[in-house]
Amino acid sequence: MISKGLAIKVLNEALATGGDYAEIYLEDTDAGSVLLENGKVETAGRRNVFGAGIRILLKTASVYGYTSDISEKSLLALAHGLAARFTGTRLFTVHSIEKQHVKVVNKIDDHIKDVAIEDKIALLRECYNAANAVDKRVVRIQDAFTDDYKQIEIFSAEGEIGKQFENTEERGRLVMIAMATENGKVETSFSGPGRFAGWSWFKNTIDYKAKAADTAKKAIMMLTAAECPSGRFPVVITNGWGGVIFHEACGHSLEATATAKKLSVFSDSIGKQIANTIVSAYDDGTMPNEWGSNNIDSEGNPTQKNQLIKDGICVGFLVDKFNGRRLGMEANGVSRRQSYRFEPTSRMSNTYIAPGKDKAEDIVKDTKLGIYVANFGGGSVNPVTGEFNFSASEAYIIRDGKICEPVRGCTLIGSGKEVLMNIDRVADDVGLGQGMCGSASGSIPVNVGQPTIRIKEITVGGRGGKLQ
Amino acid sequence: MKFDKFFALAKEKGLSEAQIQASKSKSTSIGLFHHEIDSYSINDTQSIVACGVVNGKFGICRTEKMGKDTFEFLINGIIDSARVNEKNEKAELFKGSEKYHKKNLYAKELGEIDIQKKIEMIRQVENDLYAYDKRITEVDDVEYEESESLSEFYNSYGLKLKEHSNYFAIVASAVAKQGEEVKTNGDVFFGSDLSKFDEKAFVKGIGDDLVSKFGGVQCPSGKYPTVLKNEIFSPLIAYFLGSTSSDEVQRQSSFLAGKLHQKIASSKLTISEKPLQKNFFFSYFDDEGVATMPKDIVKKGVLNTYLYNRETAKKDGVETTGNGVWAGNKIGIGFCNIVVKGSKHTFEEMIAPIKEGVYITEIEGLGTGMNSQSGDFSCQAQGYMIRDGKLAEPLNLITLSGNLLKMLNDIKGFDNRMKLMISSTTCADVLIKQMSIGGK
Repeated sequence: MISKGLAIKVLNEALATGGDYAEIYLEDTDAGSVLLENGKVETAGRRNVFGAGIRILLKTASVYGYTSDISEKSLLALAHGLAARFTGTRLFTVHSIEKQHVKVVNKIDDHIKDVAIEDKIALLRECYNAANAVDKRVVRIQDAFTDDYKQIEIFSAEGEIGKQFENTEERGRLVMIAMATENGKVETSFSGPGRFAGWSWFKNTIDYKAKAADTAKKAIMMLTAAECPSGRFPVVITNGWGGVIFHEACGHSLEATATAKKLSVFSDSIGKQIANTIVSAYDDGTMPNEWGSNNIDSEGNPTQKNQLIKDGICVGFLVDKFNGRRLGMEANGVSRRQSYRFEPTSRMSNTYIAPGKDKAEDIVKDTKLGIYVANFGGGSVNPVTGEFNFSASEAYIIRDGKICEPVRGCTLIGSGKEVLMNIDRVADDVGLGQGMCGSASGSIPVNVGQPTIRIKEITVGGRGGKLQ
Repeated sequence: MKFDKFFALAKEKGLSEAQIQASKSKSTSIGLFHHEIDSYSINDTQSIVACGVVNGKFGICRTEKMGKDTFEFLINGIIDSARVNEKNEKAELFKGSEKYHKKNLYAKELGEIDIQKKIEMIRQVENDLYAYDKRITEVDDVEYEESESLSEFYNSYGLKLKEHSNYFAIVASAVAKQGEEVKTNGDVFFGSDLSKFDEKAFVKGIGDDLVSKFGGVQCPSGKYPTVLKNEIFSPLIAYFLGSTSSDEVQRQSSFLAGKLHQKIASSKLTISEKPLQKNFFFSYFDDEGVATMPKDIVKKGVLNTYLYNRETAKKDGVETTGNGVWAGNKIGIGFCNIVVKGSKHTFEEMIAPIKEGVYITEIEGLGTGMNSQSGDFSCQAQGYMIRDGKLAEPLNLITLSGNLLKMLNDIKGFDNRMKLMISSTTCADVLIKQMSIGGK
């Protein structure tokens, strides 16, 4: 997007006052979306996200700025303004830039950006028809397809020879929402499969009609749900999207953003037991074509498979370049950001609890009275205290080892330290679910994942009184 | 940027009407950690959202890329968007309101104050927080942010509107430890007049609330008379107002459908929108170019009006209420400067009659714990027990569950602690007859 010559000028301007690292992140994103409301196109539109972010580091201080104008004048002015925050003298001058090889982990043959909008609408219409055929009580169906084609160029320097990286990110997401009503009750259900992939995955690999029908069926089923009881009970959490519990309860607290300043509940936990010994967990940005995957991170580092917990022992953090300086740890390919408008920091990608030895059905069978959570709406955490919450969008009572009546309005809360130790069963059925994670560097696509697990006791909130 | 060429090209390419909104934004933020500047950011961006009508259909396109091809990109995007639009209603843009209540919101003095003085202000906050209580071990965030934005609106009917504003925000949060217990608390102060920042009161507010959280317990699960702090009531009111959207009502997605002019809440509740109130949230035109206007949305418990944009108003045969706001690729419904009427009573007077109840001071997870269609919600909470009319032991890791309409019907009263929140809502603490608390 800019020449090497201009990049060298801007980097040198940024480094003029003693910065030891400078980076230019350039982005040109073409994003599209189309939304059908009850089978008719309600809106469609394209959006161009365009600009540059410049970051300068000096030991453990960082300055960051961004602009939507990538002209020479604008970039030099930004670099000059940022450099003015430091008062030292130049440590080195960048003389040349070498283009780095970027290994393409996520291969795509059929780019979504080349697919005619009419084809996307046709697929969404099939989703609508499938959901609409489920039940007359389904009164509102929204089907949307969103796609991003993000072209990234990074120039960075911490010595006389700078580096240049080029990367392309392509993601698509199919969003299906069904709303059902009966006797004044209203329930909605959501499904949102997404992938760093081409059009054929959506068109040919996933059974989108079945997913659409299933979304509508769940909204219908929740119409009969009673209010969730409250108190402390055993809770069995399904595989896949159920992994949001690990994402909130533990993942955020292992990001260097929180651990580097010793602000996380798990700041000094490496080598210490933080979970039951049956729990191992990973964050893996290299899983080919997964929603949270990438070829390189926002600093140009190749993505990695990072083990976070091994047999209950904390063995690693998610470390970006800046926070790695405080920690004395190397960056491990996890620096991410929503766009050029955000300074990058350590974030999760595809995070999951590794498979255990149990069978999911045995875990349910061995639970006399408790809650079975089949789907979550999402959650949040305070990484300092480790206290988290998440809301179940689909939950049932377990009675005598069987999944029984559905319940609604179910919230689970706890502290990460407590809940990880309380995981007493881990099944072998790992699955992944797609979500958007909002944190310091914006909203980014992540996979959460896990096999079916049981927490032997956790606080459940609802309006249904005591569990009987 | 001159937009004459945009309108000329739009006409040439077959757009019967066109509109363009251009925004420019500049901001600076400075963060301290351990008495050093550890983050500093300066930003300068512009963006355009353009829309138009082609063969009676609405189309839209957005960009941040400014160059010689920008207008062509936008107009082609509008044409592509309109081509697949299947809405039955004939799209038409707005010609203009009779009168606009423009005010100058740009505080020139704010930008003229030396940056060093602003840095010194947050240094003082950091120092005073560390000194406030020996249990405060970290000031994990202290930041000064300043932002200036210019928004321009033009359409092919010659309508030209402009808003120029600036503001600052001071954000701070601290961590305290007592034994194994770790607690956090933070606050934000914002406005456009730095002289109104009361540093001592700001620090005291964060410090007092922080150290009073120690020893938090879970109360037994059950139903309790519940006081919601103004900062907690504000997001709940925002969700309620989402249901006053005529768009949601017309799609049968709102629990307020069919309830216009009916009593839907306690007669103690009056909610007004005051978009022309002069503060940071002031806005004299909406995203369709319609002049905004003050209104009572709920008056003494009666639902007075839904919130309308031009399209939904036309469907209901009424006038727009000036609440058209971009929502993705369409004009949806939004609101600003919401005021919930309080009372003359003090907080102490309000809780005095409560024999056993809870006072909720923080909630988490409302975004995912709220069913917007039914108004049912459940989220993580913390606060204090109320015993014999006084605050008692702190509560931690409890859940608060309820239903928005039931909650508003169960309002027993407000106190006088009116606060303008960053969400643009001004409200006081509220006493609810009974809410579900999940604990041990």
